[in-house]
Amino acid sequence: METEPADSGTPATRRRYDPPLPAPPAFLRRGPFREDAFTSPPREPRTVVVVGRWLGAALLVCFLTGLTSHLLQDPPGWLAPHLPARPVNGYRVTQGLHVISGLAAIPLVGVKLWAVYPRLFEWPPARSVLHALERLGIAVLVAAVLLELFTGLLNTLQWYPWPFPFRQTHFWLGWLATGGLLVHLAVKAPLIASVWWRRAAPALAQRRAFLTATTAAVGAVTLVTAGQTVPWLRALDLLAPRRPDLGPQGLPVNRTAAQAGTVTVPADWRLRVDGPRPYRLTLAELGELPQYSAELPIACVEGWSASARWTGVRISDLVRRAGAPPGSAVRVTSLEAEGPYRVMEMPAPYVDDPLSLLALRVDGEVLAADHGFPARVITPNRPGVLQTKWVARIEVIV
Amino acid sequence: MTGTAPARAGRAVRVVRAFLLAAGLAVTGYGVYGLLGDPYITDPLDVLTWAVGGLVIHDGLWVPLVCLLGVLLVRRAGAGAESGGPGPGGPVLRGWLVVAVAVTAVGLPAVLRAGDDHGNPSVLPLPYLRNWLLTLAATAGVALLIALVGRWRRRDRAVGPRDRAVRRPAPREDRS
Repeated sequence: METEPADSGTPATRRRYDPPLPAPPAFLRRGPFREDAFTSPPREPRTVVVVGRWLGAALLVCFLTGLTSHLLQDPPGWLAPHLPARPVNGYRVTQGLHVISGLAAIPLVGVKLWAVYPRLFEWPPARSVLHALERLGIAVLVAAVLLELFTGLLNTLQWYPWPFPFRQTHFWLGWLATGGLLVHLAVKAPLIASVWWRRAAPALAQRRAFLTATTAAVGAVTLVTAGQTVPWLRALDLLAPRRPDLGPQGLPVNRTAAQAGTVTVPADWRLRVDGPRPYRLTLAELGELPQYSAELPIACVEGWSASARWTGVRISDLVRRAGAPPGSAVRVTSLEAEGPYRVMEMPAPYVDDPLSLLALRVDGEVLAADHGFPARVITPNRPGVLQTKWVARIEVIV
Repeated sequence: MTGTAPARAGRAVRVVRAFLLAAGLAVTGYGVYGLLGDPYITDPLDVLTWAVGGLVIHDGLWVPLVCLLGVLLVRRAGAGAESGGPGPGGPVLRGWLVVAVAVTAVGLPAVLRAGDDHGNPSVLPLPYLRNWLLTLAATAGVALLIALVGRWRRRDRAVGPRDRAVRRPAPREDRS
């Protein structure tokens, strides 16, 4: 690891911009700081760069798919009218990838940090001001990545032992981790380039065995968890927090009717639709409108997804009936008394899509309370938390 | 375009590094700004505490523990080997340990949390302790198979020349 190519610039100019720091007295160099404290052969640059490439790719996929999820959930005003309702499985794929690559990053970050662990004890701890700054940057990068993966993993279990809000913290830590990664790549670019190609480093049997083990670890972790969203891996779903066929009516639930306080629906329930010509409909009247069926997935931010055949009234039909033209957005309100997703706004592309339904039935059965009885929203290419259940009101807002 | 090819390449590398550094600092700055300004994150110090805590636990406890486990198990496995170093099964055992630690890191929260679903039985619906042990056993089985095949092939190579001489069909000219 001591073979970093020299930077450009004369020593004099380097010293001016990067003043050296005094080395601590040698007698402090004990324990893991000793020169021969670490002896594992795979702890060498080529191994680190190969694992780093995989980890970098996983983190990049996490960041981009996470950003996609954030924009779909909480679009800025200028973007909302342009969000696409297709492909039908778009969000299922991006969010599935988000969690799959995040879980794959857990063994990768473990292996990567194990391989560079001796660097934590390099001597002297800081050669110069820039070197100290670089190490501080690595601390930010590692802390952000570790906390990001930890909060993400526990969120899929709906386990929140920390005092801060998950969604916002996970979002901002993602920027910190990505920024730290880019700085790290800039600093290490010469070292990375020097061993990027296989021929640039001596062949090493231990490296091969180590990289094979890393691949096996990523493969094992993926195989036993990805079944929560990938249908043909369902049989191997051993450690994922969800199984797409387990739950009421064979579908998982993010928030139950008991949690939302909607186990019993008021006897005088009417769907209220507000627009230029507002109206109300009973459940029986809704059932007499033209019914359509669509095979659509519920794709949760937590990374699981499950397809079902939903039957109900087209949302565009309901909105037209209220006198609103195509291109209108709506606001949907749930019966639940509180909750961050009680009120949901649906941009026009989803409203106008013929697959977007106010569903009354799933797989031929009347909706269970946990799936949103009497009526729920189901739209293509949208996060599950926005598929509002126990719908009380739809209002045209544009 | 002026300058030699290496000079141009050097310039390109410098431009890429400068771009990465600037982008990285900007993205980090945006993250810090957002973290400090988010109305829902009332106390950013909480986040800092958990971030530093994670770093300390990972580097100060988790990695040394994993290293210790690896040294103990791999050395014990290699104790029978004549060479004194890790036995022939050493690399395979080490590989399985990487897999086992990874599966544990990902699966342990579910094992610890199994049954705690806040009244939503579709969260954590599986027998996670059993499934975790099953995964460890299955991967250990695969590792054992790989080790046995490796040993068999090594032994075959060691005693091979004599054995194979017997088994090999006689040269063509000897067959009449």
